[in-house]
Amino acid sequence: MEFIINYFNYIIVVIIMMIGLWGMLALSNLVKKLISMAIFQTGIILFYISMGAKIDSSIPIIKQAYDEHHHPIHQVINNADYANPLTQILMLTAIVVGVATLGLGLALTQKVYSEHKSLNEDEILESLS
Amino acid sequence: MIFGLDALSLVLILICAILALYIKDLMGSVIVFGAYSFLMCVVWTCNAAVDVAFTEAAVGAGVGTVFLVSTIYNTRRVDTYRKNRVLKQLFMFLVVCVVGSILLKTITDLPHWGDAQAPANTHVSAYFLENSIADTHVPNVVTSVLADYRGFDTMFETCVVFVAFIAIFALLRTRKIPAKDLTPPHTPVDSLIIKVASHLMIPFMQLFALYVVAHGHYSPGGGFQGGVILGASLILLAISYDFERALEYLNEKKIILFVALGVLIYAGIGVICFFLGGNFLDYSVLSKILPATDTIMARSHAMLGVEVGVALTVMVSMYGIYLCLSSNGRMDKGI
Repeated sequence: MEFIINYFNYIIVVIIMMIGLWGMLALSNLVKKLISMAIFQTGIILFYISMGAKIDSSIPIIKQAYDEHHHPIHQVINNADYANPLTQILMLTAIVVGVATLGLGLALTQKVYSEHKSLNEDEILESLS
Repeated sequence: MIFGLDALSLVLILICAILALYIKDLMGSVIVFGAYSFLMCVVWTCNAAVDVAFTEAAVGAGVGTVFLVSTIYNTRRVDTYRKNRVLKQLFMFLVVCVVGSILLKTITDLPHWGDAQAPANTHVSAYFLENSIADTHVPNVVTSVLADYRGFDTMFETCVVFVAFIAIFALLRTRKIPAKDLTPPHTPVDSLIIKVASHLMIPFMQLFALYVVAHGHYSPGGGFQGGVILGASLILLAISYDFERALEYLNEKKIILFVALGVLIYAGIGVICFFLGGNFLDYSVLSKILPATDTIMARSHAMLGVEVGVALTVMVSMYGIYLCLSSNGRMDKGI
């Protein structure tokens, strides 16, 4: 049980990444290949977020007390009380960039479809040769 | 940090991932992928990453699904598939098993899940947590790291969104084709209920998005999330009415102008710092020109300016990408 709690997220990361990799390699439909790519990406994001999690910690918004002039009262902040913000911002931007690149992939797919009238990899290869 | 919910959602995620690749109908596959993204939000929240969950809900489950649906609308819905691929698929399964087992072998070398003393949690991120309030007066550390400490990173991420938008525009935008050549797979439904409902929703969506941008210093949110919600409200307008109605508010020229303006605002704030004697994106020198602010509050205010730039670029690029994808570059009518 100890082992499962310690490593469960990482095991899922590997499985998700492998599902995405298999989809990209083995499926013939271009849209499904792009979905597989997005699945692979979420595997990497899950890896980073699991790295930054801390047991018995809060979200990375600091609980701050203010005096009557709205100046923050000085207080000692313990690193272990809040989750890691760094891994979170790296992944936050990665998600938005991920959807922009997904859009680019879909634009290319539409171009390919208007040229070959098919989304199937084999049929496109046949019409190319 | 709730292990039970985290584990349950991850198991459901695996089922969704396999289903999304298994279903033959691409529309079904995309909808299952949307559910996958929503379950991912739950996982991010369980791991205390609320900003990431917010982004995933707006981007992965919302706008990403719309992009995929618009591509299917313009191409073919059914995955035509051939029997002769079974051997290839089995071979790829073996390859993936080998790669996966190598990766699984290395897992036990990683620090435990939730270990506060792990290397990733002790060095630079500890500095951010301990000094964010003293340096910038911003309680949401994710925002202060995003817009201030790692400002360069975010600036170039915004540039990537900008470049992706320009690339899609360059790829798909075509001259108008005569109406008789248009063969959409099915005619769009003109529903009064959808129009009235979205008409009521759009102002509140935009108000909420502005709140998300402006309140990112104190609560989960910020430029990326607010920008995507603003973009989604415009996409809703284009879906429920038609492109003409949406382009009345934000036409093509304005789209190109605003997407560049967002990047310009971000880089411009950096250049102003430059001329005031600081480093690029060193906001504390802005206290010389901002009235009644000290060096600490100048950083807080400049972060808001930067977030507005990010929101502008993200909003317009999401909207523009949707218009291009759903009309196949003709910009006349879509879903």
